[in-house]
Amino acid sequence: METADAVVVEDLRKSYGTTHAVAGVSFTVRYGEIFSLLGPNGAGKTTVLEILEGYRRKDAGNVVVAGFDPGDRRTGRQLREQIGLVLQELAVEPYLTVRESVSRNAGYYPNPRDVGEVLGLVGLAGKEKSKVKSLSGGQKRRLDLALGIIGNPRVLFLDEPTTGFDPSARRGAWEVIRGLSGLGTTILLTTHYMDEAQELADRVAVISGGKIIEEGTPATLGGRDLARARISFTLPGGHSAADLPVRAAADEDGRLFIEADEPTELLHRLTGWALDQGTTLPGLTVDRPSLEDIYLGLTAAQDAAATPGDAPVPRRRMRRRT
Amino acid sequence: MSSQAPAAGAPVRRNTAALVWHQIRYEQLSFWRNPQSAFFIFAFPLVFFAILAGVFGNATLAKIGGRSVTGLQYYTSTITAVSVMGACYSQLAVTLSLRRQEGILKRLRGTPLPAWVMFVGLVAHCIMLSLIDAALILGMGLLYGIPMPSHWAAIIVTLVVGAAAFCALGVAVASLIQNAEAAPAVVQFIFFPLVFISGTYFHITSRFLNDLASVFPVRPFNQALLNPFAFDRGFAGHQLLVLAIWGIVGGFVAIRRFRWDPRPE
Repeated sequence: METADAVVVEDLRKSYGTTHAVAGVSFTVRYGEIFSLLGPNGAGKTTVLEILEGYRRKDAGNVVVAGFDPGDRRTGRQLREQIGLVLQELAVEPYLTVRESVSRNAGYYPNPRDVGEVLGLVGLAGKEKSKVKSLSGGQKRRLDLALGIIGNPRVLFLDEPTTGFDPSARRGAWEVIRGLSGLGTTILLTTHYMDEAQELADRVAVISGGKIIEEGTPATLGGRDLARARISFTLPGGHSAADLPVRAAADEDGRLFIEADEPTELLHRLTGWALDQGTTLPGLTVDRPSLEDIYLGLTAAQDAAATPGDAPVPRRRMRRRT
Repeated sequence: MSSQAPAAGAPVRRNTAALVWHQIRYEQLSFWRNPQSAFFIFAFPLVFFAILAGVFGNATLAKIGGRSVTGLQYYTSTITAVSVMGACYSQLAVTLSLRRQEGILKRLRGTPLPAWVMFVGLVAHCIMLSLIDAALILGMGLLYGIPMPSHWAAIIVTLVVGAAAFCALGVAVASLIQNAEAAPAVVQFIFFPLVFISGTYFHITSRFLNDLASVFPVRPFNQALLNPFAFDRGFAGHQLLVLAIWGIVGGFVAIRRFRWDPRPE
């Protein structure tokens, strides 16, 4: 069965005991897209992902991945020939070499990528003959990613792929993910780093308390593109707010700010005034709310609305799921 | 670089035999790269055999069924049996628990490798180790001077049935173990009492213990190997049947209870 979308999720539900880990989630991922599920720890991200990967059974709803139902054992092998996955927890066998590990998994797929090419792609070229146990943590992660993409998957699932990376390793991983996307791989990733979603995702969905509370592109999520610009600065010494040519309010840190739909003219008047006065506007910035601001606003509102019974993390065994 | 996208619905799979062989090869590779485990599987039974054979030698150790059995003949049989159990039951139970705990089984479950191929790879590996172990111990026994056995078919069949049964039991125990730290302890807790009452290290004359041990798989395995090694006899049908039943029970538990995920739902 061929579907137009790589991943279709409709009203997906999953409970652990009385805890509704996933409480009616719907989204679609188109072929070739990078789609990111954002959400705090325990929001249900990993549960959704593990249902899509075929590890967990859904309670209700409809799920299709690359044309297959991941809950159907009869097509499990066919499905897994089409998908690649990198789990949150690192799992590599210690005694093989890097090349052997990847070659072994390559043999499981009908149409694997070239082992050398994949090792180059993830930045492990030159490490082919190293034993896995001698690799650093970051290198093991890259090997894990290599194992995820060796089968030349149409759909790649990445569960918090850069958690615990140092900043340069994260940039490196982003390059790899963008590269894979450029080769036509559909990517569904979870993260709780806003900059990661901003950098990589074509579309994002914010999941909290087992529900999707907002969906959009990183630029437009939560009306971000429509939000007003904010000019902020510190009042120069020897002047009071009344001296300014425009009306400014003070925030809790004592900085002044002005919000405007179109800040160009305001900014011109403000800086013109400062130059006339022979002074400066210390700490002058113009910005719009970041994806993180939007995200924090969305999840905070959700937290406030959540009833105590909605605690999304089951107590036992599932404590590291998100 | 491979530019062709996988053809949807009609992937060209490698044939099953090639896949099984691929898996067996890499299972071997992982094992031989871990010198510690290789040492315990081969050197440990050999050292034990050398000591016991050195102590008891060609003196008569016991009269079994009216026939004298020398220490060498006796321990060639029982130490072969215990080394097969180590290579199959203990190794599988510990390895699988460890791989599950480390998420390696879960990760493997996410690949298209069919579960049965993974198990065939492991069991083939264990049977091969068992045959090597048996050959080493028999070789040492011959050096010490036991007569060359003549019932080779019975020896091979007994080893393979025993290895398969203890593999199934190893997977079954791995299915019941919750965490890998406890695995060696659980494995030994089940194994050691059985080995002792089954006469592996010293001949048991208590009728009660012998009757009790005959119900479990270890003593039948010992006896089935004593047949060709000590009595110059062939197949021990009854004992092989007991082993096979245990293997089937183990296999049933393994299939019903096996878990891939370190934190199942």
